[in-house]
Amino acid sequence: MVLIGFSTGAVARGDFEPALALLGATSMTAVELSALRFGELPGLISALPHLDLRQYSYVSIHAPSSFPEANEENVVGLLESVAANQPIILHPDAIFDFGIWQGLGSRVAIENMDRRKEVGRSAEELSYFFEKLPEARLCLDLAHAHQVDRTMTEAYRILKTFGDRVCQLHVSELDSTGHHHPLSFGTMRAFAEIASMIPPEAAIILESLNPLSGANPQSQINWIEQEARRACVSLGRSDRSSEFAAVTAPFGLMNRAVTA
Amino acid sequence: MSGPENSISSSSPLELLSQILDCRWANIEEARQRSLPILKRLSETIESVPGPDSDTSVVVDGSVARHECTKGSDLDWMLLVDAQANADHQEILLGIRNALSAKETSGKQTLFSELGLKEPGPEGTFGTLAFSQPLTHYIGGENDSNSNTTRRVLLLLEGLPIGKRREAFDRVRKNILKRYLIEDKGLLHRGIDGESRWVPLFLLNDFARYWRTMAVDFSYKQFNRGGKGYALRSIKLGTSRKLLFASGLLACFWCDPAVSHTENREPKTQSLIDCLEVFLSNTPLERFALFFRSNLQIAPSTFLEDCARELFGSYDDFLCLLNDEQKRDHLEKLDPGSQDTSEIFAEARKIRHRFRLAIQEVFTGSESPIREHSIAKGIF
Repeated sequence: MVLIGFSTGAVARGDFEPALALLGATSMTAVELSALRFGELPGLISALPHLDLRQYSYVSIHAPSSFPEANEENVVGLLESVAANQPIILHPDAIFDFGIWQGLGSRVAIENMDRRKEVGRSAEELSYFFEKLPEARLCLDLAHAHQVDRTMTEAYRILKTFGDRVCQLHVSELDSTGHHHPLSFGTMRAFAEIASMIPPEAAIILESLNPLSGANPQSQINWIEQEARRACVSLGRSDRSSEFAAVTAPFGLMNRAVTA
Repeated sequence: MSGPENSISSSSPLELLSQILDCRWANIEEARQRSLPILKRLSETIESVPGPDSDTSVVVDGSVARHECTKGSDLDWMLLVDAQANADHQEILLGIRNALSAKETSGKQTLFSELGLKEPGPEGTFGTLAFSQPLTHYIGGENDSNSNTTRRVLLLLEGLPIGKRREAFDRVRKNILKRYLIEDKGLLHRGIDGESRWVPLFLLNDFARYWRTMAVDFSYKQFNRGGKGYALRSIKLGTSRKLLFASGLLACFWCDPAVSHTENREPKTQSLIDCLEVFLSNTPLERFALFFRSNLQIAPSTFLEDCARELFGSYDDFLCLLNDEQKRDHLEKLDPGSQDTSEIFAEARKIRHRFRLAIQEVFTGSESPIREHSIAKGIF
């Protein structure tokens, strides 16, 4: 079974409940509960015991991407209540005091950053954070890696150095200003170039921003399923690749480039 | 990706090779020691200019970038832009130009004169904006002008980003390398001999083309400038320019795990970009030092030791000559008609000859580990 799903923040920005309602009607097997903004975390944590997440074989929590230093202990305290088998995705530049995070051990998954950030973008920059948090795992954001380096050499270096730490992927298209979009064929082809180096057990979490947000639910569900198939194809997760022809038929020649 | 280190460390490839060979190249060392503070000073100046961000890098080429700075070296630099079109880039360029040319308030020297450097040459290839799009897309064909080829190949072979913003440089270098690799359809595929080809021939051919362009432009400049500067350019063509090309050829051969003694290199485009980027982050002399050291660590070889001594020894003599203001000045002013009677030119020619023989031995000598590559890929 392929572990694939969406970040709730990509399906419905800043509101995990409607996102989960929509995802509940899809075949997704994984989900990331997003509390990207500091103010979202307490609500998410208090709702966790009551959420019906039974359809998901993999669940992760995205920690806030920034918070005041004075609130760091509070953030970690809230995250400590998350189930032990649910990785906590953390932006490295959000950390003030590594000591506070060390107690979470391997539950923390450091995410590689995009071009806008000054740290955590490359294998070399990530190594600093893994020295400080030696048990931490890695959330490999392929869109960030692709934005930092279109040749995917930096993604290759990250996988070569820290491949055994990867527990989750972030998958989407990212423009030069850092905005998430649905996958394009150029991006799919780029991801395909390093797909063989990604641990097959790593969950795929899509961050492609739902372009149909607010439209009728069935259209959104169809788009979610289609985007998931495209991600599977680009990453060579074969049990959904058989549906590739249906997804890509309108694009003719470009299909061959991706599957070659 | 880290750039060349800003101080000599015991792990410098040149230092390690000199330990293995138990010899010292004082002029190479001196040129490096002269280059590093200049690069530091230039970096500080660039950092004081508002504007450079993750979309731009200031890239230095030439002897300063190669850590071979001597008295009277040029400072070739460009503002590399890898971004959406933005008229502000011209403002950043002007800011850098002004910072480099401004006279110090305490004295009357510009930064160029303070550091003993000459301003970029008259061709307009340097001291200006360079955009990533033509550098990446125009490889070969009518749009690949002399300036474009020069900027692109020098960016790969000796470009060094200064200041804190090197991301644009790193991105563009990787993108250019990828262009060369993905268009090379036989690369990483098995040939008729059943062996995978690791040597990137498109890249190698462009390095070779640039080497021949430099040789042709030598004659062009001679014609265009009425012989002015002929002797010095002639000596440089056969030494520093040749070293640059040879180190590019070596970089292409280095992609072969059998040459670089690399185990478990994946047959992937990204692994070759990684290999090339790391190798090219060394100066041309350091690339040869790495080559000699990696071979000598595996098995002793009198042949390679002799090659290394001669290559570095002759180049050391070349830098010594270049650093002698009187001799450099003599060569710069020497009329082509007077070359046969000039003792200094005769001395320079001897050095150039020794260097040529050393390079030839490294690549095609009977015991050279890259002899077969040189013949099969470098010549035919």
